[in-house]
Amino acid sequence: MCGIAGIIYRKSELYKNLGIDLLQLIQPLETRGPDSCGVGIYSNSVPHNIKLLLFAAEQAAWEEVKSWLHSQARVIKFDVIGSGRRIILDTSNKTLDLAEFKQHLATQFPQIHLMSIGQLLEIYKEVGTAENLFQRYQLKGFAGSHGIGHTRMATESVVDTYHSHPFTSAPDLCLVHNGQISNYYKLRFSLEKKGIAFETDNDSEAIAHYIRYQLLQGFSLEQALQNLLNDIDGTYTFLVATPDKIALVRDKFAAKPAAIYETPEMIAIASEYRCFLNLPHYNPNAKISEPDAGEIKIWSTTNKPSPHLELV
Amino acid sequence: MHQTVPQQTLIDCANLTTREINQKLKALASESIPTKLLNPAGRHNLAVGITQIAISIAGPVGYYCGGLSDNINIEVFGDCGWSVGENLMSGNITIHGNASANAAASAHGGKICILGNAGSRAGISLKGATLIVTGNVGYSSAFMMQQGCMIVCGNAGANLADSIYEGTIFVGGEINSLGADAKLEPMSDADWQFLEHELAALNISAKDYNFKKVICAKQLYHFKAKDWANY
Repeated sequence: MCGIAGIIYRKSELYKNLGIDLLQLIQPLETRGPDSCGVGIYSNSVPHNIKLLLFAAEQAAWEEVKSWLHSQARVIKFDVIGSGRRIILDTSNKTLDLAEFKQHLATQFPQIHLMSIGQLLEIYKEVGTAENLFQRYQLKGFAGSHGIGHTRMATESVVDTYHSHPFTSAPDLCLVHNGQISNYYKLRFSLEKKGIAFETDNDSEAIAHYIRYQLLQGFSLEQALQNLLNDIDGTYTFLVATPDKIALVRDKFAAKPAAIYETPEMIAIASEYRCFLNLPHYNPNAKISEPDAGEIKIWSTTNKPSPHLELV
Repeated sequence: MHQTVPQQTLIDCANLTTREINQKLKALASESIPTKLLNPAGRHNLAVGITQIAISIAGPVGYYCGGLSDNINIEVFGDCGWSVGENLMSGNITIHGNASANAAASAHGGKICILGNAGSRAGISLKGATLIVTGNVGYSSAFMMQQGCMIVCGNAGANLADSIYEGTIFVGGEINSLGADAKLEPMSDADWQFLEHELAALNISAKDYNFKKVICAKQLYHFKAKDWANY
């Protein structure tokens, strides 16, 4: 019983509400899973640059990280944020090989974890309450076009920051999931045989990698998710976010809950209907619906995805 | 928080825990005092395990509303979450809105009316109650139904009445697909009379719908492993 939530705005005037709306939406879901909370937010675009969020559970040699980053690309920003760093790298003059970059980072600084990478996406997650997370990273004032969130009740793997949601598998792609994958080991094994490296033992990570692999094969997001419905067994409702989209997928047995709130201004998705009542600008005339078994729904923002960053 | 008006007690849920609300309801039920709940705000487990009381709820409720209750009369003016009236023994639950999944799960008796749509698995394992849904029902409704009656004025999602044992389902709209061991049965005059009678209370005329009747084909009663391929 985890909780998932997502918001996607139809009007850019509302972007400024994203932080507070997402907090209000996710907070009632803490009763579904009090272990950890996390969000993936699409905001503060850095076209032609790259945004990184690095975290370390304990003390880390941040100065060494910084000087290594300098050797890769010009570091424009290196801000302290919670127990991590929010970094912007200037890649306008030099293309960075992201796969190589990630590999070097992992080998040289094993205590450092790459939370997210992209031009829009920022992932914040931590053990504990939503209020804690939002305060620690000052997310209430966060503006953005869309975002997804998660509260976790751990069933399949340990409770720590890295096993919390959202999971990312590619630049500007992240996922939150409620449920279990029953063919997880087979799925993981087949993805590993294709050269995909797993960072955690969480079954949700496998879904993120599966989607990335499908996209790399040239499938559209919708087709990738159709394939997923046939290839992944288990109970799942999940949200996957890209630079300009949020997709909702419900398994073929409708085993896990989801409700959709729709107004001319925004779309909100949550595990439970009561979350919508908590929205600061709750509209009682909103259209509220539930996805059908095996249904895929995709919403787009007005954002144009930047062509600069490719999947790696 | 506790204000008495003639013949009806008001309970404001806003500043009470769910346990406190249900304890108050139990105390009021011992004297059969009708009660109105204000500000339910989609809260779970309201009015669970209560007997002999009329409760009106002004707003949406969460999971398991009215579950395990006996001889009650609950009216919800709003939508409701999963498993409304789960294992109801007797009485009435009326939802003036939509219901999420598992409406009337395992309900033994009484009547549950959803005056809107119901989600997946409506009437799952129904054991004798009557479930009326004036809108549509979702995927795998009446799954493993054992007794009782389900009336759906709208459409039924895929896999209706999968592995049904007993009981009757009437669907006024389209049936996406029937599950294993469910079959259509011609409507009799008695069926139409029964539907007219049941729906009259809701000001609905059964004749306005193209009702179809679904019952158990009873093939799985004598299941043999060699017949596996049929399923």
